[in-house]
Amino acid sequence: MRFIKAELLKLLYARRNYGILLGAMALSSIGSGFTPYALSRVPDALVNPLTQSAAVDSVYSRALGAYILTVILGVLVVTSEFNQKTAIATYLAAPKRYQPLVAKIIVASAAGAIMNLLATLVGMGVAAYALSFYPEAVAPSSSIWISNSLIALLTGAIIAIIGVGIGSLIRNQSFAVTIALIWFFIIDRLLAVLFVEVGKWLPTGLISGLENLKFNYQGPVVHVSSTDYLDPWPAAGLLTVYGITFVVLSLLTTTRRDID
Amino acid sequence: MTSIEFRNLRKVYKDLVAVSDLSVVVESGRITGFLGPNGAGKSTALKCLLGLAKPTSGTCLLNGKEYSDLDHPGKIVGAVLDSSGFNQALTARQNLKIICAANDIDDSRIDSLLELVELSKAANKRTRGFSMGMKQRLALAAALIADPEILVLDEPANGLDPIGIAWLRDLLRDLAKQGKTILVSSHQLAEMQHTVDDVVIINEGEIIASGPLKKIIGKKTLEEAFLALVRKK
Ligand SMILES: Nc1ncnc2c1ncn2[C@@H]1O[C@H](COP(=O)(O)OP(=O)(O)OP(=O)(O)O)[C@@H](O)[C@H]1O
Ligand SMILES: [Mg+2]
Repeated sequence: MRFIKAELLKLLYARRNYGILLGAMALSSIGSGFTPYALSRVPDALVNPLTQSAAVDSVYSRALGAYILTVILGVLVVTSEFNQKTAIATYLAAPKRYQPLVAKIIVASAAGAIMNLLATLVGMGVAAYALSFYPEAVAPSSSIWISNSLIALLTGAIIAIIGVGIGSLIRNQSFAVTIALIWFFIIDRLLAVLFVEVGKWLPTGLISGLENLKFNYQGPVVHVSSTDYLDPWPAAGLLTVYGITFVVLSLLTTTRRDID
Repeated sequence: MTSIEFRNLRKVYKDLVAVSDLSVVVESGRITGFLGPNGAGKSTALKCLLGLAKPTSGTCLLNGKEYSDLDHPGKIVGAVLDSSGFNQALTARQNLKIICAANDIDDSRIDSLLELVELSKAANKRTRGFSMGMKQRLALAAALIADPEILVLDEPANGLDPIGIAWLRDLLRDLAKQGKTILVSSHQLAEMQHTVDDVVIINEGEIIASGPLKKIIGKKTLEEAFLALVRKK
């Protein structure tokens, strides 16, 4: 308990974390705010996509995009201790190395879940507002607010844990943040649309599976359809396996390496 | 029971032997100077003692137990290490609050400790702007926060001005009078001569002398004795 309290204080005292929260809200809102405009201008569309509820759902699901910033939250929970040289005080308080780390994982996953939920709710609010400018837009699925909130909680928690794992493996803060951003902003996203066969097994592809949208896009470069992704439950299961894997990785690295 | 004991401690980094075979008992209720040239292995030995570095072989004991076997290590041993720091984006008080939380100590001691280390005025300032001496004082406050019976201090005088150094000497003597066991490393030998009861001198990872200060230095100053011992090697 004492370690969880200490980690919570660190999280709440750091003003940077409130900046990350605002950034997450902005990211969700930009995604969902611009999508109605983009959809209403799809060239060569036989019917206006906004008259299809699957397309309207996809606008709401753009609000889930902030998970990318929860990975940063997770990375910083570990690396800032080495960056600021507070790791020594943290580990001096604990007889066993795993204790502060478990506290970090618990606090980071809870904070990641809450942050992603708040960002997603704001983003969905923006989606509803943006859609109100398109009278032809139909209503979204009735469960979209609930299901997206649950997806936000799960992905926020697990991606934050992956961040803790990345931070434990790469203690250098700038390097760890750069790697995490390049992976989640670029590689993971590209794989999820350009190489679905690989990407569907990775976090962004799994989140697409969770979203469970119905679409089929056969463009000149990108051929992707919702049937390419895993179903929501297997996707949630595999995402959880990733979370557990990164918990184990961070425990192994933290208990073996010297602290300095 | 001895407060601090190193038993055949050996620590090797890749192919560099930082501590080769350190065995020494630090007497309780006394101030022991831990001396040696740069790179002698002092900080490494202290990190092994505090569970931060894993010994290649041998053990280090605090009150007869390894660090990882102490339930509440922070309440038994307080430490200042040369490589430790504070979150620069947070205030002195916030940094101490985190340390209190992690060690399950009441926050109420924070004010009196900040007063003890003469940082009351800077309590609510971010530590980013702290001078080296202020950081060192804050580190001492953190080490003392749980009122531990053992203190392990790695170059605590670093960055202190002459007034600060005199203040630290009085503080350490005062703490020893309260019965605390203090192991302190320093390069300021003239200062150490006025502060410590016992000395442990190491060089290249090995002990070259240990015992009561008076016995080790005889009629020489600590500096003369130290130089003679280190050069003999
Ligand atoms: N993490 C590390 N990795 C590799 N080598 C290390 C590490 N830490 C210390 N060393 C090496 O171990 C030796 C002992 O270093 P240590 O810091 O213990 O010396 P010291 O007695 O504290 O010196 P100083 O008086 O300069 O503080 C040095 O040669 C140092 O380069
Ligand atoms: Mg040193």
